[in-house]
Amino acid sequence: MKTVEKIVNPVKRAGEQSPGKIYSDKLKVRARREWRGVKDTLYDYTRWLYLMSVLGRFIMVPRNVKGFFRYRWMMSYLFVPHGMDKFTIGLRDEALRIAHTSFNFVIADVTAAIGKCFRGDRRVGNDVEFSERCVITDENSMVTFMMGFDKDKTPTILREVPTMFASNIFHQFNVMHYLDVAQQYGIPGDVCPMPEAEAGISIEDDFCVLGACAVQNNTTCDGSLMGNGIIAKRLEREYGIPTYQLATPLRHKEPDVLEYAAEEIKKAIAFVEEHTGGKWDWDLYFQAAKRVNYATRCRIAQMEINSSPYPQFFGAAFSLYNDTNYMGNSGRDPEFIKIDKKLLELAEQGYKAKRMYAKEYRHRCIVWGVQPQYVIDMLYWLVQCWGVVPLTDMLSVINTDMIAEEDTPENREQAYRDMAMLNMEMIMRNHTHGGYKVLLDDLWELCEKMNADIVMMWEHMSCKALTGMHGMFEEQARERGIHIMWVSHDLCDPRVFTRQAIRDQVNNYMRTVMREEPLDPSLEIIPDNEAY
Amino acid sequence: MKKFLLGILLKVLLAGLGLFVVTFTVYMFNLDMKLMTLIAPLLEKWYDHQEHKQYI
Amino acid sequence: MRDLKHLNYFENLLQVANNELVVQAKKDGKICVAYTCENVPEPLLNLGDCVSIRLSAPNTGSMDIATYYMTNLLCEPSRALLERAVEGGFNFADCVITPDGCTMMNRAVENMELLKTMGKENPRFFHEYMEIAFKNSPNDVNLAVLQCTNHILNPLQKNYGVDISDAAMREAVEKHNRLCRLIRAIGDFRKEDKPRITGYEFHVLCLASYVCPKYLILDKLEETLEELKTREPDDKPWRARVLLVGSEVDDSGLVKLIEEQGAFVCCDRFCFGSYPGRVEIVLNDEEDALTQICRHYIQNCQCPRMMNQEKVYSRKQYVAELAKEYKADGIIYQQVKFCDPWAYERTLGAAMLQNDYGYPVLSVDRPYNIASSSGQMRTRVQAFVESIEIKNIQRGGKA
Repeated sequence: MKTVEKIVNPVKRAGEQSPGKIYSDKLKVRARREWRGVKDTLYDYTRWLYLMSVLGRFIMVPRNVKGFFRYRWMMSYLFVPHGMDKFTIGLRDEALRIAHTSFNFVIADVTAAIGKCFRGDRRVGNDVEFSERCVITDENSMVTFMMGFDKDKTPTILREVPTMFASNIFHQFNVMHYLDVAQQYGIPGDVCPMPEAEAGISIEDDFCVLGACAVQNNTTCDGSLMGNGIIAKRLEREYGIPTYQLATPLRHKEPDVLEYAAEEIKKAIAFVEEHTGGKWDWDLYFQAAKRVNYATRCRIAQMEINSSPYPQFFGAAFSLYNDTNYMGNSGRDPEFIKIDKKLLELAEQGYKAKRMYAKEYRHRCIVWGVQPQYVIDMLYWLVQCWGVVPLTDMLSVINTDMIAEEDTPENREQAYRDMAMLNMEMIMRNHTHGGYKVLLDDLWELCEKMNADIVMMWEHMSCKALTGMHGMFEEQARERGIHIMWVSHDLCDPRVFTRQAIRDQVNNYMRTVMREEPLDPSLEIIPDNEAY
Repeated sequence: MKKFLLGILLKVLLAGLGLFVVTFTVYMFNLDMKLMTLIAPLLEKWYDHQEHKQYI
Repeated sequence: MRDLKHLNYFENLLQVANNELVVQAKKDGKICVAYTCENVPEPLLNLGDCVSIRLSAPNTGSMDIATYYMTNLLCEPSRALLERAVEGGFNFADCVITPDGCTMMNRAVENMELLKTMGKENPRFFHEYMEIAFKNSPNDVNLAVLQCTNHILNPLQKNYGVDISDAAMREAVEKHNRLCRLIRAIGDFRKEDKPRITGYEFHVLCLASYVCPKYLILDKLEETLEELKTREPDDKPWRARVLLVGSEVDDSGLVKLIEEQGAFVCCDRFCFGSYPGRVEIVLNDEEDALTQICRHYIQNCQCPRMMNQEKVYSRKQYVAELAKEYKADGIIYQQVKFCDPWAYERTLGAAMLQNDYGYPVLSVDRPYNIASSSGQMRTRVQAFVESIEIKNIQRGGKA
């Protein structure tokens, strides 16, 4: 089997040595916050103050209070600081700053999205003029087709992000209600719970109702595509909001689908223009294209650092930031440039100083598959508890090609193909669809490139595209001498796999197969199954 | 005048220090989230009692 | 009713994938084009010496090997096919053409390819995967034309020298239409108040038309049609007439089970059924045949994967129209367990057919091989039939 060189951290971590002690089986949150030494604790404290100010400013708006009491999913946002704590376990120095910089920005972005939802919502803010300029889209939606629209004049709202995706991060039980509603109406329990929960929210009438129109797509899976039909029916027939289904080919590596995908983008743009009155502006598009390329360059640079012995930006924060930037932003917001820049500076600084996240790096790991968002952040836990460094995750391995950024007549045609390419190569589906090569071969190439000896395979109970290749992963990993560690989970339903049941799969593998002892035994079993 | 200004400065510093001590205590002992765990069950009941038009 | 003369013959053909007619076709020097999804235009798989054979895995028992490769979370048809492929049950295939329709079926075939389950003796053997249309728009027709050209026509021509001219396509369509006319004419007897063919018998004939080389069954289908014209129906009335909708039904035992409970399966609207799979393709002389064939498949497609809302609504309307035409008292929406597209489709379909069109609906999931869990299904159907009868009594009709 392949092995990698063990690296011992020469620097003792400041403050608390065993963060496992701060969990409590009597509380649904942590007993206290982590002591990280004076400097880092104060930094963490200031970021906590910042989060409180974001939440405080949000709740000062009367319509947001009204929305808070109308929508069940809003309860999750009571636990934003708790969610943040999940993503900073054991972190110090640059790692702590990277996690806060990226994740705080994600939280600000989600908060803004909720604010917009409530502003236009017919039940809450009912700002008709605003609502009639808005385009609502899915949770897993690339918004490339909005790159040429003014983001303030024609706002895009990924309505399912605050409602389902993000709310699930902060409160692991909050989505269960919607799964139960969906199943009560006959959707089986064996489909992917993410689109199922979204369908449940629609059936429960718990989505904000706003927008001049909606654009749905099939960027994830069969379940997501099918759930859209249920959501669109209510949007169209009950609320009179026209929907457009943006079809995105699955075999995205085949050149013979590109023209079709480009044509679909053109139609989506025309649909938005027709219903919102917004006008496509090529200047805005090419400015956004430049920002997309900048983000791509930064991501490539971060991956280069992660290929070194001293990776810096990884874990849930990396994945969620990429989700937000690549998919939800698509170059439209210049603020992301500053964050990209800052994150890269921090990572370079950490790399030069040879900063490590744990006292020892024993294994280098690629995280593959569809990852659960509600879990205590597994990836930081993995490195702290077992010294297994998660170099990157599948959802962060996305497009590395540059798109046309100069406004020329030829590039205007190319732009549709670029948008189509980005759309087809959307997060997750760029590996889960498009043939087995992007799922299997890409993984082994990545293992080689990043010098990984372990693959942690998230086996999401209902992700058929992934589990459909289970045996092939096993066989091909064996041929290559790569350890493959299966970790089953359910994306949104902790009744199927609790947090500890998920961690125990790693614990068992590390103890029985790798014959190793944990770096930090205080983290091996954490009493947080019932925690939010 | 100088004494007066120093007095104000001292009060501001003391108020700041007091605020810091209070907020840092809340932060360090996770009192904010502990409070939320008390509020959440009440909210859940509130949401459970709401009438929604379930429809597919 | 008197037994149909060739029913037993057709039943036997459905017992194995590599049935005697497939063997016969191979002996005749035919090229066996295997496929797994009804969204692939069938006439294009029957050009020249090609014969289309839809992969199926009758009498599936253990699926241990396939379950190792794909886990027990994938739908049973996909696992059953992989298991059968690993066992060597599809070695007759000269190529496999798979659309990236439902993910699970696509994965099943990818596993077949990676495990090299077929084509060991045939250097010209190939696997092709194609994108299929998502909507019924001109853009989708263009996509379908390109995909059929690149992933069906060109590979067949390159590897087997198949004639892919417009004339060859028109000839294939004509042969296809002859089969469709036969199946539809046979199926039309189900509209009668006292039907002279059962849903089970029809299902056997229709399924055989997908899994056997067509040119070898036409004579017996024609003979069966003639026989039906004079067949005396039973006097005993059915308790209810139901339309069966949903995932592919490879096991005629399901239809038999439903009919054993007194519910006549008067019409079929499932993958590889007669609607829309056995609807004639009408070609004109003004436009090339390939474009027209693709347009026909896109416009008639009732696959839940078609995603535009117009299609979403029209699928339910289509079911309602069939129910009306075939005088169905109720509708059974069924899905093979773990089938994502039909899981959602049956939920929405059941709700719309009930609320918008006023039909009683049984919405149910089932195993691939009904014999493995017949008791549960029997109880569900019995209850459904009784509920229809009670509704009839409440309306003042007879039970």
